[in-house]
Amino acid sequence: MSERDTIVAVATPIGRGGVAIIRLSGEASLSIAKELGSGDLTPRVAHYGSFLDENDTVLDLGLFLYFKAPHSFTGEDVVELQCHGGPVVVDRLLQRVVNLGARLAEPGEFSKRAFLNEKLDLTQAEAIADLINSSSLQAAKLAIRSLQGEFAHTIHQFKEKLIELRLYIEGAIDFVDEDIELLNQGNIKNRLEELVHLLQRIQREAKQGHCLQEGVTVVIAGLPNAGKSSLLNALSGRESAIVTDIPGTTRDLLREYIHIDGIPLHIVDTAGLRKTSDKIEKEGVARALTAIVEADQILWVQPVNDKQADPRKAFEELIKSIAKEEVLVEIPPLTVITNKIDLIGESASISKAQDSYHLSEIALSAKTGEGVELLRQHLKALSGYTSDTEGLFLARERHLEAIAEACHALMAAQTEWIATGALELIAECLRQAQLALDRITGVVTSDDLLGEIFSRFCIGK
Amino acid sequence: MFPEIFDVIIVGGGHAGTEAAMASARMGAKTLLLTHNIETLGQMSCNPAIGGIGKGHLVKEIDAMGGVMARAIDKAGIHFRILNASKGPAVRATRAQACRVLYKQTIRRFLEEQPNLTLFQQAADDLIVEQGCVKGVVTQLGLRFYAKTVVLTVGTFLGGIIHIGNTQQEGGRAGDKPSNALAKRLRALPFRVARLKTGTPPRIDGNTLDYTKMLEQAGDTPTPVFSGTGNLSDHPKQVSCYITKTTEKTHDIIRNGLHESPLYTGKIEGIGPRYCPSIEDKVVRFADKNSHQIFVEPEGLDTHEIYPNGISTSLPFHTQIAFVRSIVGFEKAHITRPGYAIEYDFFDPRDLHPWLETKPLQNLFFAGQINGTTGYEEAAAQGLIAGLNAARKAFGQAVWYPRRDQAYMGVLIDDLISRGTQEPYRMFTSRAEYRLLLREDNADLRLTDMARQLGLVNDEQWQSFLSKRTAVENEMKRLSAIWINPSEEMTIQYGQPLTKSVTALDLLRRPGVKYQDVVSLSAVAKSETEITPLVAEQIEIQVKYSGYIVRQEEEIKRQQRQEETVLPENMDFSALSGLSNEVIEKLNKVKPATLGQASRIPGMTPAAVSLLLVYLKKYTYQAKKRA
Repeated sequence: MSERDTIVAVATPIGRGGVAIIRLSGEASLSIAKELGSGDLTPRVAHYGSFLDENDTVLDLGLFLYFKAPHSFTGEDVVELQCHGGPVVVDRLLQRVVNLGARLAEPGEFSKRAFLNEKLDLTQAEAIADLINSSSLQAAKLAIRSLQGEFAHTIHQFKEKLIELRLYIEGAIDFVDEDIELLNQGNIKNRLEELVHLLQRIQREAKQGHCLQEGVTVVIAGLPNAGKSSLLNALSGRESAIVTDIPGTTRDLLREYIHIDGIPLHIVDTAGLRKTSDKIEKEGVARALTAIVEADQILWVQPVNDKQADPRKAFEELIKSIAKEEVLVEIPPLTVITNKIDLIGESASISKAQDSYHLSEIALSAKTGEGVELLRQHLKALSGYTSDTEGLFLARERHLEAIAEACHALMAAQTEWIATGALELIAECLRQAQLALDRITGVVTSDDLLGEIFSRFCIGK
Repeated sequence: MFPEIFDVIIVGGGHAGTEAAMASARMGAKTLLLTHNIETLGQMSCNPAIGGIGKGHLVKEIDAMGGVMARAIDKAGIHFRILNASKGPAVRATRAQACRVLYKQTIRRFLEEQPNLTLFQQAADDLIVEQGCVKGVVTQLGLRFYAKTVVLTVGTFLGGIIHIGNTQQEGGRAGDKPSNALAKRLRALPFRVARLKTGTPPRIDGNTLDYTKMLEQAGDTPTPVFSGTGNLSDHPKQVSCYITKTTEKTHDIIRNGLHESPLYTGKIEGIGPRYCPSIEDKVVRFADKNSHQIFVEPEGLDTHEIYPNGISTSLPFHTQIAFVRSIVGFEKAHITRPGYAIEYDFFDPRDLHPWLETKPLQNLFFAGQINGTTGYEEAAAQGLIAGLNAARKAFGQAVWYPRRDQAYMGVLIDDLISRGTQEPYRMFTSRAEYRLLLREDNADLRLTDMARQLGLVNDEQWQSFLSKRTAVENEMKRLSAIWINPSEEMTIQYGQPLTKSVTALDLLRRPGVKYQDVVSLSAVAKSETEITPLVAEQIEIQVKYSGYIVRQEEEIKRQQRQEETVLPENMDFSALSGLSNEVIEKLNKVKPATLGQASRIPGMTPAAVSLLLVYLKKYTYQAKKRA
């Protein structure tokens, strides 16, 4: 990660509609803007123009804004591209900028540069450190989530295959006098081909969004019969969940994908939390706990006629009592939902938390729908905040960037194999592919590779 | 007290000590080499060979910086080969079998003839330490030697214990006493100490072997030369090596003897190298293999003794003799010296600065096996860097050390000080991320200029280097100015017709086209100045690899700022909020010298590196404000 690279990120929350700002910072910002079709830019003057792709086709129309170093927020040359806010447009424009030589910014990197260039108060190192830290943690969490299911499986499978080929090639280079089984020429060719095909498939899937779960996840939790499933139905506008007045009706997780004014949200309904001897319900509670840990936001539902004095404490104690020795690393933020106001004829209300200690509270009735709109606006505000510039969108973009790089390196290996057959050049291409992939799957060091070689082959004269 | 005061004292006369003493003395520092036995200067304690993949690279680098190892092996090598000859220039490596006696003699002569260097035979028992600074050495007799800096290169002698079967004896190497007094003294100092283990095979009387049953392996022709200033005429008589193998019977005997193996009975605590397992380890871990290769290497020209490479063992002698005689061609073998395992103290290299001075004690330098490495070449490389910096420190000059992108020596040191080591550390080319840049063939181009500035390279070597470098540059310039038009001649020669005019240099870029092909074209003609095979090779490699070379150079440039960002020596990582406890612990263990080094500590995240950068900025800002 060099300080000299030109970096790019989306500076606005990803939603549908509205305007998105893509921000570039670094030496190449201006030249990249020119390639996009900006023409000559005057500092601090908005230029209206087209954003062009590599074939000079118009991707979108929008504004270019140039801030000349050092008079910019990072202290470097900065160009802002203001385009339409749809994810597809943003995605394609971002891709284009990356192809022109920018690198996706690391979490907190814009602020870091501003700090290093003395654009921020230098005594505030701790604040910047906190920012880098929290945004890295969030990015890591999002990256893990975008790496779930089938996609993660194929990526890891690919990584194993890549390491396998590398260890034969590195073994052949470093242990030439040992009688280790070597790959014959045809074998290397076939394996390279197989790797390229596999990675291209992964790339296609990733592009289609199979690895993407856009939007924040909101988990509805509460004691049995608090009205959680009714709330899910009220939010989704569908009867997805079976609603009865029998406690423990919901046994498994129910997931709904909704949009609130274009902002995507995952709503997960969970089994009511209680200790139970019913095997199926027990499993449901266990799954609810897992969902709670992974959530971005918890809606803690309590009936108005059975309000807890301290909902946070009640929630945490309940979790602890059910989770046994399983310790929660960090309980996600809570919003308290006081449900069933229709029972006592109270009207809907919201009290927003003023600081991190207090909780936001919304009184509503899932059954009549009164106050549900308050909740929807509340969720919109929350997700707008949490998805910020380091949203899942960027997590996926980083994966795509890494996969594309790995793919490129593997194809270079194929070309090199045909042209020269020089094993050390193949090895270098494979190393580049591994480096790119390491950004998704964790680092494989040369020592790891050597360890594999020693355990696989009998080395040692 | 010894009447003279030195600039630099080197303790130990092995491969690290030799290069350290020679480097220091070459730079004009008044140097003392203290050894417990002058007869064993330059002794090869293990296998009689120098070089190999990764190791040959180190030897060429030492040579490029004026060191002696390459010149010595040229005079003592009795079998030379280029390994990986078919795999491309970056991983091509030179290896030579040595005549032990000739090698030792050559090293001793170099040492004796070196101006500014004094030899003295006495075991070192203690260090003279005043206020966290080392001032000199006390010998067994109580003689006190004073110097500005001290380099310890004590190999496996610190607390050395030799294992054969169930018997154990103290020793630094078969036949030599360990340095127990010094080990005890060093253990009392604030260093982190651990144990390592290494092994050696039984030696055999070659007259008792049946070579007709083995595969002969001759050296390469033409015979390779190690040193850039060496000549074919330096080489003594050349001999062959032989390859044989173990049998099922060998493995049975070993399996039945395991209950007496100190490795398997838990008597040996030290960790041995994964890449150089004992034969008992190989038999156990790779049970499905019914035979293992053994390289039968001559020990020298004036002896019949041979070194059977591949059967290092610590089994009891009766098992050794039984399994040795089950090897093909070894049926009547006579063991002249039993094999053994040796355990010894080493010091956690994370307590070292990259210039190999210890962090806890100023003016004290460590080089060689004491730092957890194995191999003559790894030792020699560290010796050179330690000797160089010990002398510079004695003169009050700034330290110098190579970066990872400049030399395998840089990779070696950076790996050691950033990661520490769990087993005896050996060089492999896969450890070098800039492998395509760090080739044997360009070691001089990478390092000789710097070495000359540091005072390590004499006039003769410098002139010879300059003429090579100039020849390469001029010839490349000439070829890039000659245009070649598409013609029938070209099509006949290369099959592929040219579609447009290209320069002679571009033509050379094509796969399969050699320098000689290009200059034999009528349009090109021969160079007016003489182009040696080494110069021609260099041009070919630089041209054909230019794409990769440029790419790696860009990668280096991107990293450079991190490499040059120095972290304050007394930085308290625990005080930095935002770093995880795990990262803080790692940073405190290593105390990295630069941000680049910090980024290579296993487990460091990009975010943690960013945080360091942010705090560093604040730190320097505040320091500036105070000033």
